[in-house]
Amino acid sequence: MVEPVESDFADARIVERVRQLLDDPAHVGNPLFEPLAELLQLATRQGERMERLIRIADGFQGAAMERHESLVASYDRNLRRLEKVVRISDLYHEGMRELSESLQAAATTDPLTGVGNRRFLMERLSEEQDRARRMGRPLTLALLDVDRFKTVNDRYGHEVGDQLLCQVADTIRGHLREYDICGRWGGEEFLLLFPEAGTEVMKACERVLDAVRAIELPGRPVGHCITASIGLTQVDYSSRGYSEGVNRADALLYRAKELGRDRIVHDFASQSPAD
Amino acid sequence: MNDLAVEKTQSTPAITADSASGLLKMEGDSYPENSFEFFGPVMEWVREQLSDKACPLHLELRLIYLNTSSVRAMLDIFDMLEAAHGRGVDVAVVWYYDARNQRVADLAEEFKEDCTFAFEITAEEPD
Repeated sequence: MVEPVESDFADARIVERVRQLLDDPAHVGNPLFEPLAELLQLATRQGERMERLIRIADGFQGAAMERHESLVASYDRNLRRLEKVVRISDLYHEGMRELSESLQAAATTDPLTGVGNRRFLMERLSEEQDRARRMGRPLTLALLDVDRFKTVNDRYGHEVGDQLLCQVADTIRGHLREYDICGRWGGEEFLLLFPEAGTEVMKACERVLDAVRAIELPGRPVGHCITASIGLTQVDYSSRGYSEGVNRADALLYRAKELGRDRIVHDFASQSPAD
Repeated sequence: MNDLAVEKTQSTPAITADSASGLLKMEGDSYPENSFEFFGPVMEWVREQLSDKACPLHLELRLIYLNTSSVRAMLDIFDMLEAAHGRGVDVAVVWYYDARNQRVADLAEEFKEDCTFAFEITAEEPD
């Protein structure tokens, strides 16, 4: 409601004053009496009409306000509902993404040793080979095989054999650069991949073999040393597919075994095979 | 009123509804191709069940994954339960989850947030 202002009081005062004059019997004969009485009636009617108009206008405005408020409320409600749907839906999607990630990890991890499995190695080899080709950078690949692993299994049992494989995996991982890749190629064979590296990886491979020799095997008699052999090759990435490099490393590994095990055989140009 | 018995598929949950006992069960994953079509009969059953003040509605859920439109359908159902609860209808929800899958419990909590009727979230040990 609007507060009465000064002019409203002035209006009321003049109406009241005229009414008092007309009520005074002394003025009954005055020629202005009749027109003034009519004028007062007119003013009163006008005032009433004005108040009615204002009431109606206020009513309309109130209804519009209410409608506006209910629209705002329903909009807010719908917005909150939508936000809730989105929030819950996002949580479901997040769950699916995590599940997919853990499935991906499980599909590419060797469950025994925790390093990548053959699938992982094939994917990475293919990626690294493409990258090396694009960048014109070297890529070196090593196949490491634990010497006489069957004897370990036969002599100490499969549990010790499994422990040994885990220790070998840890040993290799501990001697690689952060961006080198290693995984279990199969059985007691591990594949090591050295992106952006050439003949200098010889040193890393030698350190790995040293560390393998230092592996303590539970129940192992003194003097029985665990050793491994490595076939080492620089990947020729002009060849498509990953098998050629692996096959060459495999042949070199076989050569290392023939030469008496516990050694690295490589095919690096301008260097004689180390042993 | 027609009761419901919908077989579980890879993308839709099993649904059974029994108007006499007022028990509605939903179990499995839900990502139907057309959620409006899939949830339509469920919504209709819930609406009818709640229209009689004397009829209770107990919802037993074992839902795992819900896509966005299924989330919306479930919120719509909970809204109907909330309104019915306000009218004095006996409504309750129990959401069972595999004890190994805490995420389902967290999501059930999200659904429960604005509900003032009985809404239990209960772990089940796997068989």
